[in-house]
Amino acid sequence: MTTLILSGFLALSAGLLAISIFGILTRRNFILLLIAIEIGMNAAILNFVYFAAFSGATTGLDGQAIAVVLIGFAATEIAVGLAIVLALNRLKGSINVAQAIELKL
Amino acid sequence: MSLEEIAFLFLAAVALVTAVAALLVRELVHTILWIAIFFVDLSAIYFLLNAPFLGVIQLGVYAGAVTVLLLFGVMVTRKRIFAREAATGIGPIPLALALVTFIFVVSAVAELGQTERPIRSYDPSYLSVNLFQTNGPWLLLLGLIMLASVSGAIYLVREGRE
Repeated sequence: MTTLILSGFLALSAGLLAISIFGILTRRNFILLLIAIEIGMNAAILNFVYFAAFSGATTGLDGQAIAVVLIGFAATEIAVGLAIVLALNRLKGSINVAQAIELKL
Repeated sequence: MSLEEIAFLFLAAVALVTAVAALLVRELVHTILWIAIFFVDLSAIYFLLNAPFLGVIQLGVYAGAVTVLLLFGVMVTRKRIFAREAATGIGPIPLALALVTFIFVVSAVAELGQTERPIRSYDPSYLSVNLFQTNGPWLLLLGLIMLASVSGAIYLVREGRE
């Protein structure tokens, strides 16, 4: 039977979350922003899969079922995000988020 | 050190390196190539964790559909596909915030200790029962939300809208 250390996996997720936060705060391109959000989302989905895999129960795969639903949500989010990218590109001629300031006071 | 641990260390290193590379390279197309490797790497981690169904979904949805969608996004929004991005500075505050988050979460994880735990193997039919019977309403909700958001996306990009 395969045995592995749970903390190592959780540390990987923490690293991916940190990279995602860094990307969201520094990148100004909308597509790069979406990719940074995806990295953070994947770190969260990985956590559900770890705990489903290490739980030791014989039935009950709630973690994996939630992961399937979350992957679907993330794909939807990318579709809507890219629609916003296209609308922003049509309005502004660029996809730099620093130029999208219509709603700023 | 067992074969699985070596595989995990390799996959984790690849995931971290490709995630950083995707956010730091200057050409957007290269970013998408790095992120494709990242998604394939995560699907390998799912296979390592005895979750082959999720691994296949990750390959199909992320490495397949999301990557192609992002490539289309890059293709239609710029004149030269391989044009370089303007360099954005890496400020000290985002870096510090990311490091603080990492240290905070890892210090919480360290409380778990380093005991080796078995990875359970299961009959994949359990997953389908769980997905479609126990969590059926969630799946239905997912379908409805996807329908609504795709109609929203079409509304956003349709022609003749000022």
